[in-house]
Amino acid sequence: MANQRALPQSKESLLQNYNKRLKDDIRSILDNLTEIIKTAKVEDETQVSRATQAEQDHYEMHVRAANIVRAGESLMKLVSDLKQFLILNDFPSVNEAISLQNQQLRSLQEECDKKLTSLRDEIAIDLYELEEEYYSSSYGQWDSSDLPLCEAYRRWDSWASPDRGATSGSAQGVEEDTDGPASQETTPKHGTITAADKP
Amino acid sequence: MANDRLRALEEVENQVATILQCAGNIVLELSKDKHNASFLDRQLSQFTVSVNRVETELSSQIKYLTQVATGQPHEGSTYSARKDCQMALNRAEYARVKLGELGRTCEVMLDPQP
Repeated sequence: MANQRALPQSKESLLQNYNKRLKDDIRSILDNLTEIIKTAKVEDETQVSRATQAEQDHYEMHVRAANIVRAGESLMKLVSDLKQFLILNDFPSVNEAISLQNQQLRSLQEECDKKLTSLRDEIAIDLYELEEEYYSSSYGQWDSSDLPLCEAYRRWDSWASPDRGATSGSAQGVEEDTDGPASQETTPKHGTITAADKP
Repeated sequence: MANDRLRALEEVENQVATILQCAGNIVLELSKDKHNASFLDRQLSQFTVSVNRVETELSSQIKYLTQVATGQPHEGSTYSARKDCQMALNRAEYARVKLGELGRTCEVMLDPQP
């Protein structure tokens, strides 16, 4: 608890220090420029000789100009410190930046996944047609335990609707399904080469 | 929002440079035998305006930070969203590689070299 109280106090003192630095630097710039302008005025009566007075004025202006430059550089350092403090401690803007970044990343991810899903669907359709073509040709040899995709869908359709199974069309299809493997295995037809056919 | 404040602070830096520039021009003009009064007035007014702007802007920034700063570190992160996005990009890259292999296989099958 004492540590939690100590942290805000240091932040408070840091911000007060920033305020003080700002006031001091601005005051330094204004005062030194004012004094330079006052010193630039040529006075007829001087306590020392004119050369000495000129030398003194020259040195004073030199020092005040250096003070102005130092105050300007201190202001730049203050601006840099404020930028750093803002980046680290401005929670509203940090939260907004994080939520914006999350939103952009999620939208990119969703777009990527959506495109992959549509690509998958298109490839699945093409694969279905290719399998149907392949397994209905003489090159596709299969047994009942290893069904191609189109055949599996066809059987699933016939199982899913037993009423359709009672009609003539699907009955023929079912008979064809049951007869298909046996006919291919027992009576080789187009595309299969037998020993008699070999040159 | 954060960018606006940072841009305002960058503008303040430009104003500080303007302050020093104007102060230098004023001293340079005063060093001449014959002063251009209008030039001096312009430089002085620009100097005053810049000083007021710098003081106002920095005071408002410090006041805003006094209201907003909590003293605790911010613990938000974009790691999970970034990781999910990276995985999605990896999936897309993998699909692209596999489709490329499939395409090359099809080309080899369709156009076999003698």
